Amino acid sequence: MAASAATVPASFETIAKQADAARVQDRIPEAIRLYREGTGLRPSWADGWWYLGSLLYDQDRFTDASAAFQHLLSSSSHRGPAYAFLGLCEYETGNYDDALTQFRAWAAAGWSGTPELRNVAVFHFALLLTRDGRFVESLYLLATEAKLGGDLPELAEAMGLASLRMRNLPEDYAPEQRERVWLAGTAAVYESRSPRDFARANEFADRLETRYRGQPEVHYFRATLDEFESNRDEAEREYRAELKISPNHAQALTALAAIDLQKADRDEAGLLARRAIAADGDYAEAHHMLGRVLIDSGDLQSGLVELETAKRLAPGNPLVHSHLAMAYSKLGRKQEAKAETETFLALKSKEYATAPVEDDSGARTARKKN
Amino acid sequence: MTSRFTFVACCAVYLMSAIAAIAQPSSQDERAGFDGLLRAGEKAQVESRDDEAIGLFRRALALRPESEKGLWFLGTLLYDKGQYAEACDDLRTFLSLRPDAGPGWAFLGLGEFQLHEYRRALGHLQRAFDAGLGDRKELTHLVLYDTAVLLTRAERYDDSVDVLVKMLANDAHDATLVEPLGLAGLRLPLLPSEIPQDRREFVDQAGEAVLALESQQNEQAESAFHRLITRYPDEPGVHFLFGIWLTQLHPELAIAEFEQELRISPSHVLARVRIAEQMISNGDFDRALSMVREAIRLDPKRASAHMLAGEAWIGKGDSREGIAELEIARAVDPSVSRPHLDLLRAYSAAGRKEDAKREKQQIDRLLHANSSTHLGEPGDASHN
Repeated sequence: MAASAATVPASFETIAKQADAARVQDRIPEAIRLYREGTGLRPSWADGWWYLGSLLYDQDRFTDASAAFQHLLSSSSHRGPAYAFLGLCEYETGNYDDALTQFRAWAAAGWSGTPELRNVAVFHFALLLTRDGRFVESLYLLATEAKLGGDLPELAEAMGLASLRMRNLPEDYAPEQRERVWLAGTAAVYESRSPRDFARANEFADRLETRYRGQPEVHYFRATLDEFESNRDEAEREYRAELKISPNHAQALTALAAIDLQKADRDEAGLLARRAIAADGDYAEAHHMLGRVLIDSGDLQSGLVELETAKRLAPGNPLVHSHLAMAYSKLGRKQEAKAETETFLALKSKEYATAPVEDDSGARTARKKN
Repeated sequence: MTSRFTFVACCAVYLMSAIAAIAQPSSQDERAGFDGLLRAGEKAQVESRDDEAIGLFRRALALRPESEKGLWFLGTLLYDKGQYAEACDDLRTFLSLRPDAGPGWAFLGLGEFQLHEYRRALGHLQRAFDAGLGDRKELTHLVLYDTAVLLTRAERYDDSVDVLVKMLANDAHDATLVEPLGLAGLRLPLLPSEIPQDRREFVDQAGEAVLALESQQNEQAESAFHRLITRYPDEPGVHFLFGIWLTQLHPELAIAEFEQELRISPSHVLARVRIAEQMISNGDFDRALSMVREAIRLDPKRASAHMLAGEAWIGKGDSREGIAELEIARAVDPSVSRPHLDLLRAYSAAGRKEDAKREKQQIDRLLHANSSTHLGEPGDASHN
């Protein structure tokens, strides 16, 4: 960021040096004042905005910090981390939709920043995904944090909210829900640890079930744990228990249909998938499942229609493209099969670098529920 | 929340003399305008015209955004009015200028608590103590209470009990402490406001038992624990808590309670630690080691488990393994005196005089500074 002597007033150089010295020597209020002065003299001073924003953020002065980071978005320097900081500032000032937009931009720009910034930003990104009803994406991000960071109580709370499919932030859910969020979240953290600690996950899940067996989402959550542990029979029992409490639970209906399909019970699988679609026509996974059932039953044309619907609703789901490729191939439509295979491979390779793309319908379903 | 506010004005006065002494350069006109607005704001506040006072303070701060006095008046008044988000914003700016102001951190932490920003609140309430609250009893009580309940919510149960016991020293019959003691004793990470309705009686009964235990009222504790164990024999945490009480009076009966806790809560690390402790007391080092290894597998960073592993190894005559485990315990949590005491003995026995001397100095420092109790975790100097 050195400026040429021909174009820069001496006062800017002096102020920049003084600001850096004050920052290094931990004279924070003075550093903030000097960076303000420097960026006022030279609005293109990216390092000045960066340090000004960072210092203000460290002092929890989020509105001021946000204004500083905004200036960096037009610059090439610090741009990626600036998105993350902006997301954090917007979160702290209650602008949650804007915060989510910033975190998405940050992810698209490559998740850059120090490990500390990445941890904090990923955590808050996940909280906002939960609030947006994108529970699978949220849990994917939080699980990576659980692998790295043990069983922090905050992580358990975040995973509890997502696991129970509650569109809430840790700051805004009903106090009487706290115990179940803690129990579910602690189970989810142990389930996500590396190596996975199924015994402890089950202990907390048992406590959750003992206390809240009549509440929505508890059996669905337990079923997902059972599936992780490859306990298909247990999972099936739990999905059915959830459906007694929440008969239109599209996710439970679809998951149960998948188990039926594995057992070659195509009749019930088809019925359940259709019920899931009736409950939530925008739930891509239900169309995906019905498409698979129909194709498995030999009804290729109807199956193709469902898979195309799933693709429209969740274009980023690689498995939908894979099944479409198979269907086109069976129908002899080689060009389309090839194109779907290529899309599948492209999406599959991206999966390792980014969070999985959950179809929009999860969010839409959750919005309807709320 | 009214009781929280009655002392705000008194606290507000506290910093004024110090703040007033720090003159800020400004033009004469601006200074006159600023001072006038501030005085008018103070007058409006005294006369309970709070909204007008807020407006006047804001106008003053528009002239001098970094006026400590203006920020303090506005921040505390907004807190008083229950406008916590705005109060916290102003207090943060104030604290960036006056990081030494303990009451400022206290109000910020209390405000963040109200906003459910619990992690941040806990950090700032603890910083309030570090910076000092002087002799403001009511503010100190509020800060201690919120700190204790937040420590429990953060699953730092023994730290929470330490704070609550300090509060009991001031008032052994403080009924407001029953729920926090019950939650910490049962190791339930909830705030009192988050206790489900059907759990209140359970938590209250546990709280009564812990209150009696911590105030060493043995008869009351005995009847409270028997009520608890009879009414809630299958609830997680109950047998562990009962075992802790038995450890103090009837240690021979405690192991059965910890074992019962393990049947209910199979991954309970501290029940294993406490069983191992009793086994070591009984000279049963092999079984103690087996139990404590399991605790370390479940929680590799549990200092007390490493400490007991060290004690068991030394009991078996293997001082090399014993010292290695004790050194891990010391590294994980240097603030606990018992591993230092164990190491002092082990180093002395091994002829490592310099190391032993260092441990002795460390023990003296800790005994001088630390009077904490550990409801769940073994590790204080009472072991000696």
